[in-house]
This record gives sequence, C-alpha cells and structure tokens, in this order.
Amino acid sequence: MHLKKKAKSRRSGAAATTGVVMRLYVAGSAPNSIKAIANLEAICQQHLQDGFELEVIDVLEFPLRALADGVVVTPSLAKISPSPAVRIVGNLSDRSNVLRALGIGA
Amino acid sequence: MPSKSLERNLSFLETGRVANGRVLRLVRSGPERRALESGQVDAVLDAATGTAFLLPGARRALSSAGSRIANSLLAALPREDYLHLLAELEAVALTFRGVLYEPGEPIRHVYFPNDGQVSQLMVMAARKTLEVGLTGHEGMVGVSLAQGVELSPVRAVVQESGSALRMGAVSFLEALERCLPLRYELSRYAYAQLSQARQIAACTRFHHVEARLACRLLRAHDSVRADEFHLTHEFLAEMLGIRRVGITNAASALQRRKLISYSRGNIRILDRKGLRAAACECYEVVRKLARVPLLMSNAVPAQTPDQSAPAASITAGVLLPA
Repeated sequence: MHLKKKAKSRRSGAAATTGVVMRLYVAGSAPNSIKAIANLEAICQQHLQDGFELEVIDVLEFPLRALADGVVVTPSLAKISPSPAVRIVGNLSDRSNVLRALGIGA
Repeated sequence: MPSKSLERNLSFLETGRVANGRVLRLVRSGPERRALESGQVDAVLDAATGTAFLLPGARRALSSAGSRIANSLLAALPREDYLHLLAELEAVALTFRGVLYEPGEPIRHVYFPNDGQVSQLMVMAARKTLEVGLTGHEGMVGVSLAQGVELSPVRAVVQESGSALRMGAVSFLEALERCLPLRYELSRYAYAQLSQARQIAACTRFHHVEARLACRLLRAHDSVRADEFHLTHEFLAEMLGIRRVGITNAASALQRRKLISYSRGNIRILDRKGLRAAACECYEVVRKLARVPLLMSNAVPAQTPDQSAPAASITAGVLLPA
C-alpha cells in the first residue's frame, strides 16, 4: 500500500456495499501503523472475504480529515457500517477484540 | 495549553518531547489512553493546530526507515515488504565475543547485522572449533530457521562489534510465510552459506595457513567496511582450527611482507591488492557465490504490488496468494 500519497479505498468482493465498511487511520509507515495494517489484512483475508470496504487514511497527510472524524490518536480503526459504529484504538494485535468490534464471531 | 494537573497526568506520554515543548490535548481515559500506555500509538492529533504529532518511537522509526538500509539482505527487499518487516524488527548491539547461539539450542531470534560480524563455529569434542561461516551486513544469522530447523547447528559468536536488527523466531516464520522476496533472498543466502562451508572444508584440508589467514582477513575487511579491525590470535586460531602459534607465524609473515600491521589484536590492512595475491583461491570463490542468482528469481516480480489494478483487494498488494 502507498499510504503517503493519498487516502486510498480498497474494496473486496462484488457485494462490497453490503459488507463491512471501515476506515483505518495511520501515521505513515510508523511501526504500530504497519502492524495495524498487517493485522487488519490478516483479519480481512480470513474473515471478510465476502466483501469489505477499507479506506486507509494517513494522518500525516490528512490530519484535518482525521480530526473531522474525531480521531485523536493513531492507529485507529473505525467501523462505519453495519451499525453500530465502533472505534478501536491501537495496533489491532488483539484479534478477538477486533473481531468482536467488527461483529464477527471469534 | 492544558492545566498543569492534566500535564502531570499525561507524563507517561512524554508530551514535552512529542511536540517540541507543546503539550497536546488528550483524553484522560478510555481506549486512547490504554493504547498510549501499552505503546500502541504512533501519533497524536492536535485539534488546536490541525496537526499530527509523532511520538518519539514512531519518529525514530520513520527517520531510520527513510535512511539507507545497512543490511544488504533487507535492502534487497521491495520497500513494502521491508516496511512490514520493520514493524517486527528491533535494534540490538552486537558485542564482541557475545554468543548468539550455542549448538543444539533453539534459535530464539534471527539477526540482520548492520555492521560487525558474526562467526559460525563448528564445535568439536575437546572444545576444538572451526569457522564454517561468517555473516556481516550482507546476510542473516539464523538461516537454518528459514529452512525449518529451530535448533542451531553451530555456535554463533560476535567477532566484530556492531549493531543488528533482530526478529523473534515466531514473527520471522510468519514473515517468511507471507513474504516471497524474503524467502528468495534467504534461499540465495543459504546457498551462499552452504557453498562457503564446502569451500572452507576443502580450504582447511589443502591450503597453507598463511594463505588461509590472508583469505580470512580479506573477508573480515569486506564485511567490516573499515581498514582496521580487532581479531585476536586466539580467536583467529579458533576460526581456522589451528594452534595460536600457527596464527602468530602466519600473521608475522604477512606483516613482514607489509600487507598488514598487527598489534595486540588490532589488524590494519596496508596492502589489499597484495593480500589478495597472498590469499588462496577461496576468497574469490566465496565472494562470487554471494552474487549467484537463483532460478526462482523469476517468481519475485509476481509479489510486487500492482499499483495500476483498480479497486484491488487489499490482499493483492501484500499477501501471498493462497
């Protein structure tokens, strides 16, 4: 992924709009941000093959966007839909916590 | 500016260093604070200035990620893969004579030296040893783990102090599974190491001590990237599998020919060209081995992220296909 250039959207599967929609806020390629991306990739590959939409936002490039979304620290993952909206802070290494927040059975 | 009490409450954050003396507004509890306390935060956003401030650890990592990669094996990886590995790597010092592995013991970490050298010694009965491999900035210590063997077959000893990036065995095996370029680089390096051991076996049997010592000093010179380095007679004797007096005689002969100067373990290369002429053929053979391409190099471009693919799956960029 090339996070520094701009925020990027990634979709998987034809039914992306009915899948999980997420935003991951990272600080470039800082260690916890890389870990968060790697951890989320693994979860998406294993559990969300049916469809998901992930937007990765680099707060070093787009701080105002992150602030407007209420982000205080990075990495932060926001699940936008399906409701309820949930936010997880940290490098997403606690997989069961992430799965629970995303509404996926651990 | 927040109150002094809030500043005190945020002392774990080292806020003064976060933002050049500016203290940031932060929540005092909740998941953000827990993530901060567990070291899982890279940056803090300041609503007052509309800016993201990196925490010290993240700033250090980003500045080192932007600089030249000292280890050639890591430097050969695509940047994306390197950055993934960087998250699992920690900087450690390599201390002279420090033992990284003993024979038969589990490999807990692999080491990518930035500089310095690590010698791999076969340990025989009666404590006799012979160096069967040497790793510097061009390689990795712990290659047998990449081949599925978790116990070290050799003693790995730091022979020239320096620094390295190390990775825990579990993280390394996971990285190996998902990163084809790393597997390729390690296959190439494992081949070079095996060939090096074969060459050393023949060299030990057929070549004179003086030529072997010249060869060994040239390899140290290549790896350390400095004209002067530290190698005691005792250590050289352990490496070449001969008695100390044999090293003393051979080093004196090289010194008389003004190829090196040698004093209390400090070796200075005076005439590299002359030293190459004095060395056995093994130096050139081993040097060329490190550059032998493998057939599987054809598979590597498939791992490179396809930037032009529209709406690509997140797995397309980084993870291996199943």
